[in-house]
Amino acid sequence: MQYVTSTEQLAELVRSQARVRVAGGGTKSATSRLANVSLSRLSGVLQYDPEEYTFTALAGTRLEEIDRLLRSKSQYLPFDPPLIEAGATLGGTVAAGLSGSGRLRYGGVRDFLLGARLVTGLGETVTTGSKVVKNAAGLDFPKLMVGSLGKFGVMTELTFKVFPAPQSCATIVLDTEHLAQAVEIMKSLAISQLDLACLDMDSSRRIWARVAGIREAVELRAQRVLQLAGGRGTILTDQQDADTWQACREFRWVPDEHSLIKVVITPDRIAPLIAALENLPYRISVGGHLAWLAWPRLRSSQELDQILHKLGCPAVALMGEWPSPWIGDHQENVFEQRLVMALDPNNKFSLSQPAGA
Amino acid sequence: MDANRLEEFRTQLSRLFPAGRLLTSATQVASYESDGLTAFRDRPDAVVLVESADEVVDTVRLCHQYGVPFVARGSGTSLSGGSLPIPGGVVIALNRLNRLLDYHPSHGTIVVEPGFVNQHVSKHAAQDRLYYAPDPSSGPVCTIGGNVAFNSGGAHCLKYGMTANHVLGMKVVLPDGEVVHLGGQSLEMAGPDLTGMFVGSEGLFGIALEVTLRLLPQPERYHTVLAAYDTLPKAGDAVAMVVASGLLPGAMEIMDNLAIEASEAAVHAGYPLEAAGVLLVELEGPEEEVAAEIPLLEKVIGESNAYEVRVAQNETERMTIWKGRKCAFSAVGRLSPDYIVQDGVVPRTRLREALDEIQRLSRKFDLRVANVFHAGDGNLHPLILYDGRIQGQLEQAEQLAGEILKMCIRFGGSITGEHGIGVEKIDFLPQMYGELEMQLMKRVRLSVDPSQLANRGKMLEVSAGKTDHKHTPHPLEQAGIISRA
Amino acid sequence: MLHTIPVEQLGPRGTSMSEAVSSCVHCGFCLPDCPTYRVLGEEMDSPRGRIFLMKDALEEKLPLAEVLPYIDRCLGCVGCVTACPSGVEYGDLITSFRAWSNEQRRRTIASRVLRTLVLKSLPYPGRFRIGVKIGQFAKPFRRLLPSRLRAMLDLLPDTLPKPAPLPEFFPAIGKRRARVALLAGCAQQVLSPQINWATLRVLARNGVEVVIPRNQQCCGALAAHTGAMSQAVTHARHNLGVFPSDVDAIITNAAGCGSGMREYGLWFQGQAEEVAAKEMADRVQDISEFLVQLGTIDAPPLSAPMKVAYHEACHLVHAQGVSDQPKKLLNSIPNLELVYVPEGQICCGSAGAYNIEQPSIAHQLGTEKAQSILATGAVAVAAGNIGCMTQIAVHLKLLGHQLPVYHTVELLDRSYSSLE
Repeated sequence: MQYVTSTEQLAELVRSQARVRVAGGGTKSATSRLANVSLSRLSGVLQYDPEEYTFTALAGTRLEEIDRLLRSKSQYLPFDPPLIEAGATLGGTVAAGLSGSGRLRYGGVRDFLLGARLVTGLGETVTTGSKVVKNAAGLDFPKLMVGSLGKFGVMTELTFKVFPAPQSCATIVLDTEHLAQAVEIMKSLAISQLDLACLDMDSSRRIWARVAGIREAVELRAQRVLQLAGGRGTILTDQQDADTWQACREFRWVPDEHSLIKVVITPDRIAPLIAALENLPYRISVGGHLAWLAWPRLRSSQELDQILHKLGCPAVALMGEWPSPWIGDHQENVFEQRLVMALDPNNKFSLSQPAGA
Repeated sequence: MDANRLEEFRTQLSRLFPAGRLLTSATQVASYESDGLTAFRDRPDAVVLVESADEVVDTVRLCHQYGVPFVARGSGTSLSGGSLPIPGGVVIALNRLNRLLDYHPSHGTIVVEPGFVNQHVSKHAAQDRLYYAPDPSSGPVCTIGGNVAFNSGGAHCLKYGMTANHVLGMKVVLPDGEVVHLGGQSLEMAGPDLTGMFVGSEGLFGIALEVTLRLLPQPERYHTVLAAYDTLPKAGDAVAMVVASGLLPGAMEIMDNLAIEASEAAVHAGYPLEAAGVLLVELEGPEEEVAAEIPLLEKVIGESNAYEVRVAQNETERMTIWKGRKCAFSAVGRLSPDYIVQDGVVPRTRLREALDEIQRLSRKFDLRVANVFHAGDGNLHPLILYDGRIQGQLEQAEQLAGEILKMCIRFGGSITGEHGIGVEKIDFLPQMYGELEMQLMKRVRLSVDPSQLANRGKMLEVSAGKTDHKHTPHPLEQAGIISRA
Repeated sequence: MLHTIPVEQLGPRGTSMSEAVSSCVHCGFCLPDCPTYRVLGEEMDSPRGRIFLMKDALEEKLPLAEVLPYIDRCLGCVGCVTACPSGVEYGDLITSFRAWSNEQRRRTIASRVLRTLVLKSLPYPGRFRIGVKIGQFAKPFRRLLPSRLRAMLDLLPDTLPKPAPLPEFFPAIGKRRARVALLAGCAQQVLSPQINWATLRVLARNGVEVVIPRNQQCCGALAAHTGAMSQAVTHARHNLGVFPSDVDAIITNAAGCGSGMREYGLWFQGQAEEVAAKEMADRVQDISEFLVQLGTIDAPPLSAPMKVAYHEACHLVHAQGVSDQPKKLLNSIPNLELVYVPEGQICCGSAGAYNIEQPSIAHQLGTEKAQSILATGAVAVAAGNIGCMTQIAVHLKLLGHQLPVYHTVELLDRSYSSLE
């Protein structure tokens, strides 16, 4: 494993080696296990302007550091990235395209990335996007980076837009009788005018809704959510509320010897997916547009692949060993191929071959 | 292209479209020669009025076969020349390709054809108390396809983002006629964000045939405030104060005195005519949340030294206040025979500096500049007024415009916040980005469209391949990576 | 928009045309409210496109003959003027352009015959009456006729009301509060004479005495809006001579007439009568406008509740800016539930003689308007223009519904009829 501490160093590696696969904090083992270059020492916040709502940091910077810095100025990352405690980095989060439950409100990681400095497969260093919150100039390479697991280029610096952190939050926990009821409640809450921050459902069909904003208003709104959902449930505030979502963010519900999988769904897929999983642990998130699965390491990858294919759901395996982290209903289309040809014509970043020495 | 081949092309095209939908005479195509950027005008070889996605694909394939450049056009409202025809090329008019294909209120999604009008999305979703957030001022006219091509913005970008943030997936036809699916129907994605790469590519990557959009629940309550200031910098400072307070309004807009004058003459929204600047701030959200935010906003506005503050008392008043803002560009036509509208972005904290500089340039060039802008995200729209009948004024106006863009670059901003590059700012893109970045963009473009047929001449300069009988191999071709077969 | 229109060569019209083109910024806000753009879906049949084409024709960049079909298809509804943020006076532009191009264009024989038929009969009640009778006679043979003549026949009622000639003077009831002159209209007098009589009674009830100049002629709007400017000016000049100036207002109850008369200043641009024409135009008011300004007596309730859909005539709402007043009047009648027609800003297809000249587009618009009206669930329709009333009635009938169509003033008259 080679550790880089500068962009130039990385660019040189790309130019001189046949293969470069990058790892950040190693939290998404399905991809980082293939890595031969680490960015964990390419770390540090380069610029932070709270009045501008923007910051720029090196890709290997840990989310923990950024989160702490933003909070000190009453700001936060609105896409609620997961695995903060586990040591996830900014670059790794973008490459894996990961957003947390809180992305429901204002958007996911793709909606907050403004600019990226990256190294292409030809070893060129380019600065793409911008440092301001609004930009329509040129091609949107930062967006292309999101979720691409580094296949088009390696990010070294990232510029993000942030928002003021909400003053207060409250969680409404709703018990439900059966799955159909839970799904109905989720659907109606998702498009209600209650402006929810989070809307999840766990394996025991319990719904977890969160509201955020000004304290007095949050209390009233939490009550409204409870009423709208039929009244059966509890409201968590302050430390309890914070602990709940921290546990969720760190995926504490995933048992040992299980791989974490991110599955893209729509609300109508919830029931068929759960049926196909047969009692495996899961968490539905983002009002029914995202599902996290815990897949036992001992079970075959083809099995999950088939299930997801049948449901027409694309997915990303974040942990465990997989022939390719992209499973389920994925197809590399022509557009993608042409982009690879331009950005990485020699396939240095490709995921499908094992990392060389 | 030699005359025989052109004739062949035309014959083939006439087999795809009945006479009424294939426009070729000078008179028939004249009104398609310009879009919202009236300074430019070019004549296409033909305009086709498509009525199905298949017709789009067939046309693109035919163009590819014969090497004929093409551009798609929605309502032709682009302010950067995005739908300006390519001389000798084809205009693919999509305004009739405007059906609603699928509507899923419980998922908060809708699928439409590219000719669907922007505001009609919200109109349709209103029945379920949903709406489509990106609201460019041309919303009643512009189409989703155009919004996708240019990543259109609007006044509510601060909180909700631009078009790209609301497009979940698309079906597109690439410049060689290949049809691909990007993204999907979900808010989330697995795999590269190809949708995000396509949105804002100004037609260079092909044409969208179906677009899946995200719908949001309508805010329960709006609180819309119009504050008047006796100096423009005070209005700018007020914005900084709102931001510092931790509030996140749905929109924050500023208009200066000239813009107010024009808007009032057109719309009679009741804007205060003597104000040096007005600030429009809108809070939105659940009832209780807005109610809790109002006292905070009042305090901030109070401290900002506005000499007059108005609050919209009902939906009608709110719409009137917004009408005054949204008609501002077009209304400026009353103040001056001609104008250029710019679209630069500066960091919000440097807004005051930017306005001072614009004023200085206005004096230097002796041309009036009206200012309308999305103060919340530092997106300026200086409207440079000039009279084209006076010798040299157009050139002066363009120079002034150029200086403003250079200022935006100097300040670390952007040369366009939402109107895109089109033809208008081609010279400035290489000033905002360096040589390597420009080469990368061109390489990507050539990889997707080796013959440069899709909206040729826009955004990126045209390199070898402009005239198709000059067959100099491109470096990527020499490397065997692409071929022009 | 920049242009090189040779203004000096075009006379006084040149100025209004070039100013309109100059003020257009090509923003396209007019497109959604243009009936022909909605129906035909092509840029040449939108206000923005037509401005471009007219500009090019005046600059001699395009042959006039090729541009004219698109200009002919314009309804002249000026819905675009209402929508335009830049203040483009499209109405002035198209009227002037039609006058200018009329002098130069060649029309087919069929077109000339049709135009003569319309222009020489409609504005003259006597001749029109005869024409209608002949038309009614010809109705059974409609299939044998060319489409435009057929379209005309389809608009004719099955029976004509008896003639009801108007007096020269109609006194106020009670204290006199105002004195006005009435433009009686032409087609209206033949097809629906009761509108004028209702107008007189309603005015009288409100203390207004009415002078009806005996020798008045057609206001000239029909001729002007189809480019027959000299005929229009002849009518207007005559009316300048016969309408008194010692009146508080000149009342029109047909939107087309009101909008035409308000253009008198434009028609006489650069001529001796320009000032007098402008003065007369300034005194013209629609009946609803006048009544609301004056203040009306309390309206008694209708004998039974009635849900009425109010149709906004484009020549009232767009060309004259009169929209609130008729609604206010109708809303003031107890037992009358007023509903608005969705997409009310779009023309019904009547627009002067449009339904005769462009029957296919007019038919589509008329059908859509009738459908919108039916969607409101109203049992009757109110409007401020005889052309619209006819067009709507015909298209409601074609859809199988025979809702009564009233003039706004007829409903007021009905309400007042319960007063002694």
